[in-house]
Amino acid sequence: MPASNERSSAAAADQAREFVITRLFDTSREVVFEAWTECEHLMRWWGPKGFKMLSCKNDVRPGGEFLYGMRAPDGSEIWGKWTYREVDRPERLVFIVSFADPAGNVTRHPSSPGWPLEMLSTVTFEEEGEKTKITVRWAPFNATDAERKTFEEGMESMRQGWGGTFDQFAGYLKEKRS
Amino acid sequence: MNAGHLDATFAALADPTRRAILARLTAGETSVTELAKPFEMSLPAVSKHLKVLERAGLIARGREAQWRPCRLDPAPLKEVADWVEHYRRFWDESFDRLDDYLRHLQSKEKRKHARKQREK
Repeated sequence: MPASNERSSAAAADQAREFVITRLFDTSREVVFEAWTECEHLMRWWGPKGFKMLSCKNDVRPGGEFLYGMRAPDGSEIWGKWTYREVDRPERLVFIVSFADPAGNVTRHPSSPGWPLEMLSTVTFEEEGEKTKITVRWAPFNATDAERKTFEEGMESMRQGWGGTFDQFAGYLKEKRS
Repeated sequence: MNAGHLDATFAALADPTRRAILARLTAGETSVTELAKPFEMSLPAVSKHLKVLERAGLIARGREAQWRPCRLDPAPLKEVADWVEHYRRFWDESFDRLDDYLRHLQSKEKRKHARKQREK
């Protein structure tokens, strides 16, 4: 059926255009929003496991910036910044995400120069009873066609689960070694 | 990592035939003729895809045998998978840490509250 094919391919295209992740927290929205926006708190949780926040400056108002530096477990430093466009306390934040240098100048992705220079991110904080649902959305911002394509291919390869394929690769490599 | 290296890998992965070829090679090395079998495609067309994969460093081709077997070189693929997973992992793990941190805040709040109650 062409109609349903069109719909599903449109849905797939949407999935590729935007990175979305959600999580439910067992805490009131005010507390979650504070933990999300104040350096005192951000220093304690922001970044993946094993990463250490080195620096945090956060000016949460439209036009203000969140500039952060973190040290990865391999010792390398990563700097990034968010430039706020909308601040709707305690419900919604809209900001532009980019890699940066310690002075806050926008830089390219450290390992993929084709990655969009800027991403538009929307974070919503929704009350669900006593809990708070956070949704983070990322999409390329002011990107060239080539940058948009790099992003979409990245999303596509994630969606197709190259991760699972890697179990096969691991098995294959083990076989090769033995 | 060379600048542009990941971009070459992404470009090579963008094509479904090339992805299918890679998936086939996870089972082990094989000849071009074998690789061409599942696709309704001429050998030169398959060879063209193989050249793109070879340039991206995703496959290596034997020089020794006449039939030049193709084999997978998983290193760049691993880089791509690591890279695209990086974003999900970044948020997943930050969320885990936020969850722990919020629990810590809450128990601190409860202790403070209990102390106040006792002092009354």
